[in-house]
Amino acid sequence: MQSIVHVCLAGLSSGMFIWLVASGLTLIFGVLGVLNFAHGSFYMLGAYVSFALVKALSPHFYLAMFLGPLAVCAAGFVVERWFLRRVYALELPYQLLLTFAFVLVFDNLVKIAWGAGSLSPPSGLGPLEGSVDILGRNFPVYSLFVIAVGPLVALALWAALERTWIGRIVRAASSDREMASALGVRVPALFTGVFVFGTWLGALGGALAVPYVGLLTPGMGETIIIEAFIVAVIGGLGSLKGAFLGALVLGVLSAFGTRFFPAFDMFLTFILMAAVLLWRPRGLFGAA
Amino acid sequence: MRPGVAAAAWLALLAALCAVPFLSGRFAPYLAMRVMMMGIFALGYNLLLGQTGLLSFGHGAFYAAGAYGLGLFALRVSPHPILGLAAGVAAAAVLALVVGALCVRSSEVYFSMLTLAFGMMFFALVWNAREVTGGDDGLIGVVRAPVELGLARIPIERESQFYFLVLLLFALSIWVAHRIRLSPFGLVLAGLRENATRTAFAGVPVRRYRLAAFVVSAAFAGLAGALEVLLESGARPFMAHWTHSAEPILVSLFGGLETLTGPLVGSLFFIAMREVIQRYTEHWMLAFGLLLLVVIMGFRGGVVGALGALLGGRRPAGEGR
Amino acid sequence: MTGPALLEVRGLQHAFGSVVTAKDLHLDFQDGVLTSIIGPNGAGKSTLVNLLTGHLPVQAGRVAFRGRDVTRMPVHDRVRLGICRSFQIVNVFPRLTALENVLVPVLALSGRARRPFARLSREAEARRAAEAALEAVGLGPAREVPALALSHGDKHLLEVAVALAARPALLFLDEPTAGMNPVERARLLESIRRLAGEGRTTFVVVEHDMDVVFSLSARVLVLHRGEVLCDGAPAAVRADARVREVYLGQEVVPAPEKAAAT
Repeated sequence: MQSIVHVCLAGLSSGMFIWLVASGLTLIFGVLGVLNFAHGSFYMLGAYVSFALVKALSPHFYLAMFLGPLAVCAAGFVVERWFLRRVYALELPYQLLLTFAFVLVFDNLVKIAWGAGSLSPPSGLGPLEGSVDILGRNFPVYSLFVIAVGPLVALALWAALERTWIGRIVRAASSDREMASALGVRVPALFTGVFVFGTWLGALGGALAVPYVGLLTPGMGETIIIEAFIVAVIGGLGSLKGAFLGALVLGVLSAFGTRFFPAFDMFLTFILMAAVLLWRPRGLFGAA
Repeated sequence: MRPGVAAAAWLALLAALCAVPFLSGRFAPYLAMRVMMMGIFALGYNLLLGQTGLLSFGHGAFYAAGAYGLGLFALRVSPHPILGLAAGVAAAAVLALVVGALCVRSSEVYFSMLTLAFGMMFFALVWNAREVTGGDDGLIGVVRAPVELGLARIPIERESQFYFLVLLLFALSIWVAHRIRLSPFGLVLAGLRENATRTAFAGVPVRRYRLAAFVVSAAFAGLAGALEVLLESGARPFMAHWTHSAEPILVSLFGGLETLTGPLVGSLFFIAMREVIQRYTEHWMLAFGLLLLVVIMGFRGGVVGALGALLGGRRPAGEGR
Repeated sequence: MTGPALLEVRGLQHAFGSVVTAKDLHLDFQDGVLTSIIGPNGAGKSTLVNLLTGHLPVQAGRVAFRGRDVTRMPVHDRVRLGICRSFQIVNVFPRLTALENVLVPVLALSGRARRPFARLSREAEARRAAEAALEAVGLGPAREVPALALSHGDKHLLEVAVALAARPALLFLDEPTAGMNPVERARLLESIRRLAGEGRTTFVVVEHDMDVVFSLSARVLVLHRGEVLCDGAPAAVRADARVREVYLGQEVVPAPEKAAAT
């Protein structure tokens, strides 16, 4: 029982990172119609840049973690404003490939700047350090913190989209670009804004991952983007609700896989995706 | 281009390729073989992307299936190269049949995502099954045994000899791709690309034809992978990685999606560019990414498309280059 | 009338969320009876065509073609059986030539599409059939023109030609004359009349243009909010009070009456 609870909690916390990346991915897809391959790279950049800032701004750990994702937003801005915007008129494959090209560029720039090996993040979590006793075994406090952050972000996103005027504009533009433009919404600026915000979400995930993963590698973007894709697809492309649910399910399933079936854990996720798509070709909450 | 002129051009190309091993040095034939193998990979890939309109991010898996198929066959069953090649192509085709059956049920973005996922899954499989595939060390020790055809034993051990086998298969691949493009089947695939709904309303079982295109393109990929194993004496897991899957995409984009020769021209440019860049820097992947950026932001129809527009004219239905 | 109707519709229901597009529809379509479907916007005309041709899945009800249940049959199988349609918004193969556009259904239905090594240029029979389909709508000279380069009216003609090329027993035309000038419209109507006369294809036409409807049809179906409001010969429908009430504004009548009716 104790194992099961701990595995569940571990799964929930790792799922939250996937959720953060998937949320940005879903938002960008829902509004701009682009599937951003480079989102995993933003996650990675969030981690590496935060890491660098932690070292540079030490002992202000949390300040660094706050500034890191903001810095990465600059990269997101550049990508959308000067590259992606120019290819909206082209067919979908070209847009996918553009973001794919950025994966190669960012991943390799990181390798050049920080080396291809792995980095160990420093400590300094302050109040979030240490662990708590759950059912007779220790569980890190930081992981509990992460489990709390995920739903908070979900709630904040939901509230912003449903209850604020800007959220209304975003929803309008995502369902009918031309109409929104005709009504005076500055769609290009809106798109840039949404893309940058999505970047921030991904980078936030990366920043939060720094104390969690224990090891930073240039490949971390790759792993998370596949998981985020799977989650977004399972949940239904464009559905935040679906992405959140998907992330929880995937996180917990992966955790069980790693713990109890270590040889098969990576297949479980793919099998999950194949199974969901066979049952619902557009994902759980996807548009019919 | 009139058929006579096109045929003459192809023959000239063939003759030129035949002459390459007789040039000095080992490098030219080696490079030419790499171009031809990439050409085979890209030709098949373009059948799926340019002809049928499906963007797959997982074709590296079929390349790897061909590679490991031949490798395992050669190491465990028989080093006979032709049988090995057949085993590789068969492995790729069977894998594509299974994966494709699931993927073609979805369209557009979902299709691409599924192929990406399956590609990486295959990569993980190859990486982890150390006892079978050698893990990240890959398969090593595959030799180029002579081709036994009845009474004749044709040696291919030397690269200059193996070259002609590659050239033969390269020419065969071009011929097959050419015939498919100009066939009724090819027209239906083009219809799928242009308008899948209408194709269904023309009485075409869409999934079945997409699956057929998928499997055929995978067979080409498998052939290319198997040839690489024979050339390099080994297979590596990287073949199944998504960054390798991106290579035929870039090649097709660069050379042009609309024509038969596009993938071939693109392969030449790609391999040549890689050789040059790798001479100056180890960050080939970064250069690849930047190159891809330039191509997408710049050329739309690729090099061949641009040339074609210059030379003017669209070929009538049924006649081809 | 012997044997089952060409198409039998029983208890067809459909809704998009809370908007009802088909309400317990019972319909029969007979061989050789050219039917027009009319009704105000939102009446469910296109939805009906989508449901009957397999473009939309049927939620409830039954559709039978010559006695055979086709309710859940996939689109391509229905086409092979003989149910086809054209689209209201031009839905052709943009970068293929007009001839190639029409070749696709011709090859698919003759079973010759499967051949990867046959030469398209040698498929003489198919090419003849395709050329005939283009001639039937007057697009013969445009055969080598890519569809996207055709004029607006020609694109619509091609749209119909592609549907006709499937030589269906039952052909649904969804607003075929939209976007055509009078010459093109007349040409198309003439073609439809001739083909209907040949007896091989039964046409069901969704239309807004009343000239087309009343000059062409043997039977007129009026749909309103997913239900059949009126069903009968053109003259009877025209005189029906309910139809006039719900729909009259769009008919071609003298100006003052029209202004009063809308």
